[in-house]
Amino acid sequence: MYFVAHIHENECAKYNCKQCVLFCPEPNCLNYKESGHTAWVWTDRCKGCEICVYVCSDLLKRNCIEMVMVKAGD
Amino acid sequence: MGLEYVRISPGFEKYMPRDYVDLVKFGQFGREVDVMQLGQFKELVEEHPMCAGCYMAYFIRIFYAALPKPEDTIVLGTAGCARLALSQAAVPFIYGNYGDTNAVASGLKRALSIRFPDKDKDVVVIAGDGGLMDIGFGMTMHSWFRGEKFTTIMVDNEVYGNTGGQESGMSPKGVQLKMAPLGKKFDKINAVQLAIDAGCVYVAKISPTNPKKIAKVVRRAIFAARKFGPTFIHAYTSCNIEYSIPTREVLADARKREKEDFKFFEWMTDEVKEYLEEIERKEKERKKQEVKS
Ligand SMILES: Cc1ncc(C[n+]2csc(CCOP(=O)(O)OP(=O)(O)O)c2C)c(N)n1
Ligand code: SF4
Ligand code: SF4
Ligand code: SF4
Ligand SMILES: [Mg+2]
Repeated sequence: MYFVAHIHENECAKYNCKQCVLFCPEPNCLNYKESGHTAWVWTDRCKGCEICVYVCSDLLKRNCIEMVMVKAGD
Repeated sequence: MGLEYVRISPGFEKYMPRDYVDLVKFGQFGREVDVMQLGQFKELVEEHPMCAGCYMAYFIRIFYAALPKPEDTIVLGTAGCARLALSQAAVPFIYGNYGDTNAVASGLKRALSIRFPDKDKDVVVIAGDGGLMDIGFGMTMHSWFRGEKFTTIMVDNEVYGNTGGQESGMSPKGVQLKMAPLGKKFDKINAVQLAIDAGCVYVAKISPTNPKKIAKVVRRAIFAARKFGPTFIHAYTSCNIEYSIPTREVLADARKREKEDFKFFEWMTDEVKEYLEEIERKEKERKKQEVKS
């Protein structure tokens, strides 16, 4: 089981924002889709630190990121 | 080193690992990216074993995205946490013995200037507070006294993180650490002032709260070192493990420290200032042209 960030893309797309992507410590882990204007997580690379949640919920009050449990292979 | 070395030989694409192909096709080689494009290109640094939420790892991530010419850069590191990520990047990395980084970098930079007299080859040391200000102190200082033309970046987590929590000269006074239970008895070393006094031509102190600002400082330090002499960046890069910072609070901590003892500071000689203004003016013009076309 791994604790990883999950982006609610429909919510995120409303903001044209990208801030969490700029503060994740891991390379190419939180990425950004220009087409849908939304952040997305490369789950294998996520270490579950929740810094992105701090950015999206605590700083920006946008609440688009939820931490979820995944199993290997999900 | 050099673009030819990075390119995949024709016919070999299908045998190369996906990450490598992405690096060549969608990466930073041969083109400059803006850090604000992070998450939309293949980054130079790969997955690494640094802890979850480590802001030293974050600083290193931004450092690589900021490199003006990754294909002509060599990074030097040593024992300590930073090397866990530095060794996972697609930029040549040399592991100096603990404390030796600035002596090795001096020789390397001189050799590169002889071998490639008409080309800029950037040498950057990234090491911890213990590596640069304690055990490597003499070699760090003497590289600055000698005016060696490379950049030194101290990723200061205020502790020997990699070996489980001994105090360093950069730990704040009074702090108790796992392997320093009596509390630190003397002040944090003023590394930035030492760098200025020892002959660095560009010096900055920064807390990692703004990727654009980190990138600007990294580029300035690299450009100034090409022409004028040693440059130094003192970066606060917290160790959430040894300082028991909940990972969700790591950026909040960096913001807090920025308001206290890690206020942004930048110092440079007049000739460096003039030189950087010229480079940045040209960069701005080039970007304007790109937007137009
Ligand atoms: C000559 C030598 N002495 C001691 C060590 C053991 N050692 C490895 S990492 C380290 C401390 C690292 O502290 P710092 O430089 O601050 O880096 P950090 O891990 O905190 O990033 C020590 C003492 C070593 N590898 N080599
Ligand atoms: S901070 Fe929130 S709203 Fe902004 S890009 Fe990230 S998930 Fe989307
Ligand atoms: S939890 Fe941490 S590692 Fe995972 S996406 Fe968010 S910031 Fe990145
Ligand atoms: S021990 Fe501290 S500095 Fe080292 S990787 Fe972990 S959080 Fe980062
Ligand atoms: Mg340290």
